[in-house]
Amino acid sequence: MTSRQPVATSAATGASGLSRQRRIVVLLVWLAIVAAGVVLITRTHFSADLSAFLPQSPDARQRVLIEQLQTGVASRTLLIGIEDGTDATQRAVVSRAVAGAMRESGLFDQVQNGDASDWKAAGTWLFDHRYRLSTSVTPERFTAAGLHDAIADTLSLLGTPAGNLVKPLLDRDPTGETQGVAESLIPANAPRTEAGVWASRSAPRAVLLATTHASGSDLDALTIAIAKVQSAFDAATRDMTGAKPRLRLSGAPVFSVQSRDQIKGEAIHLSIVGGIVMGCLLLLAFASPKALLIAFLPVATGVVAGTATVSLVFGNVHGLTMGFGSTLIGETIDYAIYYLIQARGAAVPGTGWQRWRDLNWPTVRLGLLTSVCGFAALLFSGFPGLAQLGVFSIAGLVAAALATRYVLPVLAPDGATGMGMRRTMAKVAGAIVRGLPRLRLGLFALGLAALALLAWRGADLWRANLSAMSPLPKEAQALDESLRADIGASDGGLLVVAQGADVQTVLRNAEAASVRLEKMVDSGELTGFETVTRFLPSEAAQQARVASLPDSATLRTRLNEAMKDLPLPVARLEPFLADVETARNQPMVQREDLASGPLGPIVSSLMYQRPGGGWGALIALHPGTKFDQARLESALAGVPDVQVVDVGRELGALYDRYLHEAFVQVLLGALAVVVLLGLYLRSPRRLLAVCQPLVFAVVLTLGGLAVLQVQLGILHLVGMLLVVAVGSNYALFFDQLRETGRADEDTLASLMLANLTTVVSFGLIAISNIPSLSAIGRVVAPGAMLALLLSAAFVRGAPPAPPVSSGRR
Amino acid sequence: MISGSKIRGELGGSAGAVQWRDVCRTLLLLLAFSASSAWAFELPDLMGLLAKQKSGEARFTEQRFVRGLEGPLNASGTLSFTAPDKLSRRTLTPRPESMVVDGNNMVLSRGERTRTMTLDSVPELQGLVEAMRGTLSGDTAALTRYFKSVVGGSVDGWTLDLQPLDNRLAAQVRSVRMSGRGSEVLGLEMEFVGGDRSVMTIVPTRPAP
Repeated sequence: MTSRQPVATSAATGASGLSRQRRIVVLLVWLAIVAAGVVLITRTHFSADLSAFLPQSPDARQRVLIEQLQTGVASRTLLIGIEDGTDATQRAVVSRAVAGAMRESGLFDQVQNGDASDWKAAGTWLFDHRYRLSTSVTPERFTAAGLHDAIADTLSLLGTPAGNLVKPLLDRDPTGETQGVAESLIPANAPRTEAGVWASRSAPRAVLLATTHASGSDLDALTIAIAKVQSAFDAATRDMTGAKPRLRLSGAPVFSVQSRDQIKGEAIHLSIVGGIVMGCLLLLAFASPKALLIAFLPVATGVVAGTATVSLVFGNVHGLTMGFGSTLIGETIDYAIYYLIQARGAAVPGTGWQRWRDLNWPTVRLGLLTSVCGFAALLFSGFPGLAQLGVFSIAGLVAAALATRYVLPVLAPDGATGMGMRRTMAKVAGAIVRGLPRLRLGLFALGLAALALLAWRGADLWRANLSAMSPLPKEAQALDESLRADIGASDGGLLVVAQGADVQTVLRNAEAASVRLEKMVDSGELTGFETVTRFLPSEAAQQARVASLPDSATLRTRLNEAMKDLPLPVARLEPFLADVETARNQPMVQREDLASGPLGPIVSSLMYQRPGGGWGALIALHPGTKFDQARLESALAGVPDVQVVDVGRELGALYDRYLHEAFVQVLLGALAVVVLLGLYLRSPRRLLAVCQPLVFAVVLTLGGLAVLQVQLGILHLVGMLLVVAVGSNYALFFDQLRETGRADEDTLASLMLANLTTVVSFGLIAISNIPSLSAIGRVVAPGAMLALLLSAAFVRGAPPAPPVSSGRR
Repeated sequence: MISGSKIRGELGGSAGAVQWRDVCRTLLLLLAFSASSAWAFELPDLMGLLAKQKSGEARFTEQRFVRGLEGPLNASGTLSFTAPDKLSRRTLTPRPESMVVDGNNMVLSRGERTRTMTLDSVPELQGLVEAMRGTLSGDTAALTRYFKSVVGGSVDGWTLDLQPLDNRLAAQVRSVRMSGRGSEVLGLEMEFVGGDRSVMTIVPTRPAP
């Protein structure tokens, strides 16, 4: 796209310089492209969810998992702690105020803080629909014997502390259906209650649980919801005197928002620091602010083009992709450095760029092509996140190279003026280049040792997992765990998911699973589970229950018989007879009716419309001490469309698959680089000479990481590809040097400077707090330096002295 | 109300009858505790006494008087306690059911249904369980956290009257009275808000070692 105009420009290079019109046209086209890119970026949505780094075509179980990670209730659950302050009563006051403000805001599907008042409306609804909801409603229960047993059971609660809850309902619900329904809804591991609200067992804090209305992938909306919690807390504590409590927030939405902010912040921070450091380096080398400014233009063009292209292709830009912006700087600035130094010394002023174009551009272009080949492998990986990195890097590199090729000749036809410290750099570089080949044998041995170490450690090296890519600090993870333990909230580690083409099928499948799970609760293997069918039974179940209810006359007869030896007068049970009659004619409980009622949020959190069509229902499990996953799986075997999803295990499997695919992609990328080099060099000997330092650089880097006990992961792998992509530039220059002997002081200085900037920029990334970025930096910084040194060390056939002496001529 | 005090009197009487059969043991206990409780039998004395018993099993019979029902509800079964915090109540008649408390966990079984709960999520229940456990294990701190307590009688026939401090518990339970002899609890009476009452008679089956 960007190449059209410049091609026309290059056609008119017969003259010694560029015509004025050409220069204006080139500059205008370039400015227009950059401006368009900037406009596009300002309208771009930036995402940060790690699920972008999950594959697109996983199996059914993994698809369930990814749906859940992206939009499931876990991705929308906020855990809130109100900590310290003066005492439990104060924390309870704040808890109620915060919960109240949150409920009013409409930003949350549900807000729970243990305040029983939230359940009043829901309780009334459950009571009114008890004969449709209670699993005990069967024909047997409404025989004389069944009624006797059920009523005796209810009576046995009277005269106990629970009696006060049962007593008011006795006349209308003597068989205790409401109580049965309610019992099944009380979570087995409910939080401790203190001063009427949920409180931690381990710390002085009140706890709340909320589900945002916004989807887990809508970071902007999540940011607003989180800000609402903060402002509600601030309002509640504003007028408090003495020790004020502190607000602690955790949960997936907080992490998502924080990750995005952190990645954004760190990318900016790294870019600024990297920019300053490199600016100083360039100033040292050029002693010219103008050259410095010009050197950054291709970088800026590359970052803008890369971001804009990703935005165009994917519709959004992942935070980690942006983080790569700073890694690109390291490579793209090389182009400008090569140009600014190598275009110098033209015989006729204004024609330096032509000499560069003829002598050096082919090498730069080849280096660009090898890099593009390397990154192209990521495009076909099937992982949206990696594909973004690929698109970003390719577009960025191409744009930066084109800007160097066509814009820099306009701005600096003869490269950079001024010499700066370059003479010294060239001397150092020359000394290194002459000295290194002596170390060849030692380096060779070291490489073999590293290779042996890698072979010996084998797959054991690749121990990093998906969580290693999470930028969450340990402290945040600890807070999350502690709040989760307080609330008894499942961390979503183990889920049962029922699926179906329509609502009723899903409900029937979930009911079938519930029957099996209920048995595991009775045997103590589970302490409980949550299923939507407790509020929303399938129509089939509702019909069966209503059909179990006898008509008034029959019920009256049976009741008289059942109550013979019970101390409850039958005369009191007229309301019961009336309620059963009402229930027989009640309309079916439908999902739509529930959605607008008090139980709507719970129903919507446990049941969801699947993105690909159809419906899904989640059953959250609370494992008991005797829990055994294999037994759960065998208990649920044969229930149609019901799956057990072990989030940890599935994520592990996903990651392994991801790693495997990345390996294949990286190998293909490396192969493409080799093929391209082979096509260009047309000589097996030269190809071997170019590849040798690259292979050794990668092997030595990996060996070093292995010695340091670093757990390697996918991003280290991506880093290796970058080493090959960046390092091939150096190797090619040395190849050119050997073939033509045409490397002067400035060429060596440019190589050294380019390498320094690369190492500095990746070195900065290596010390970043974002694990995924630092992983790449820790591979590329040493790898790129090794690639240069090894390229110099392995230069064969060229006499040690000529490169520098030819420059002095 | 009238029937309540009658029952309380009967229970007191039966406890007194038992007392004479074990005079030597009581005398020994009296000697052991005379240093601190020569004149008045106070809460620390009782708790010290109870703390000696690390575990116990008993049978119970319970009568519950509920307003609006024709006649009392009777139940019987077994109780067991292991210091410091295991407590179980298994009802055998009229219908088998059980409540097992272990630390902060409570497992309720009625009919075919089993429910597991955390005790501290239901403060009103926690108060009652702590009253029982606190008394049985002689844990004064646990007891006084939830109740205002008054001790009456002497080592060979004491009563412990408890009044809930927590609002939520007080909204349901008016008072709890435990009675016993030496280190054994022999009776538990509860009066609920609204007039219902429960009276439990306890007969230890495995006395203190």
